[in-house]
Amino acid sequence: MDELELLKKEWQSREQELPKLTYNDIYKMLLKKSSSIVKWIFYISIAELVFWTALSFFIPESSRRVNDGMGLHDITIVANILNYIIFAVFIYLFWQNSRKIKVTDSVRALMRNILNTRKTVKYFVFYNIGVSALSLLVVNIYFYFERERLYELLQDSEGFATIPMEKFSTVFFLVQFLVGLVLIGLLLLFYRLVYGILMRRLKRNYKELAKMEL
Amino acid sequence: MTKELEHSFVSQLEENQNIVHKICRLYTNDQDAHNDLFQEITIQLWKAYPKFRGDSKFSTWMYRVALNTAITLYRKSKRSVHTQDFEGVSFKIKAEVYDDTAERQLKLMYSAVKDLNDIDKALVFLYLEDKNYREISETLGITEVNARVKMNRIKEKLRKILNP
Repeated sequence: MDELELLKKEWQSREQELPKLTYNDIYKMLLKKSSSIVKWIFYISIAELVFWTALSFFIPESSRRVNDGMGLHDITIVANILNYIIFAVFIYLFWQNSRKIKVTDSVRALMRNILNTRKTVKYFVFYNIGVSALSLLVVNIYFYFERERLYELLQDSEGFATIPMEKFSTVFFLVQFLVGLVLIGLLLLFYRLVYGILMRRLKRNYKELAKMEL
Repeated sequence: MTKELEHSFVSQLEENQNIVHKICRLYTNDQDAHNDLFQEITIQLWKAYPKFRGDSKFSTWMYRVALNTAITLYRKSKRSVHTQDFEGVSFKIKAEVYDDTAERQLKLMYSAVKDLNDIDKALVFLYLEDKNYREISETLGITEVNARVKMNRIKEKLRKILNP
């Protein structure tokens, strides 16, 4: 086929017109992996929000009844709304980060973006762990002062019905404490695994960029 | 260790970057998309680099990974939908070399190639790169016979487009 042969000749004679990237240009592209890391942070934060929301549908009815019975109904709603707002702000910030990092060209701007992202993630993790720990603590302190009412409420549920009042406080708060500890531990582990890996990669990229800037 | 790996990778890619540019040129229609695809290919090459054992030439391995990226990873999402017109084709033909008909034919041919589906395009690309059928079949992971048959069909297809 003549035209194809013609195109082939033309194709090969056009080599020198192709763009020419320098070593540093290409190297920078490798470091731009940062942008995909930041994108992942954004996606994971959304997945997390969806996960927590989905989880809240599975709260057993008994636990909800105790909550309402202790007069915590309204405050739970307020706390939830507040939490969602703050979560949304974080997701917005992650989105901003991923958008910004995608359009940066200069090494310096990229470095600044990486630092920003790391900071946002750090605050996000602190916030989540802090809020979980704090709410567990506050609720349990409240429960402690209202323990008689709690005892009555829990009479309906099987596990606690057989325990006499004197022993109830010790058992209940010990269980709460242990479960809380495990939960926070799991949360820490989760953040360490998921965000920790991404953060380490970002840090490495940052260091490489810093070397390039010198 | 990673440092050395990075250095050898970037230098080899720098040396062979023409291959990637040519793929980008064939698979995208504007400069932005070109750069995007180049970066995507770079990242995919880098990810696959630890598995490159040097039993083939770096460039051969590059053809494979880069084309794979262009075909599979870089689907419609970022590519603009056929907005190119004949004049806008980045492949401008030097007017003094060819007469009008030849030039027109060439442009038509090029635009017909660009309109092929992603896999056919990969075949034509390797053909334009003057690869023989053995190399084409190795790069695309098909048999030599299959490559021949496919190429003949593509030629037939192109002929029909050019001479309706």
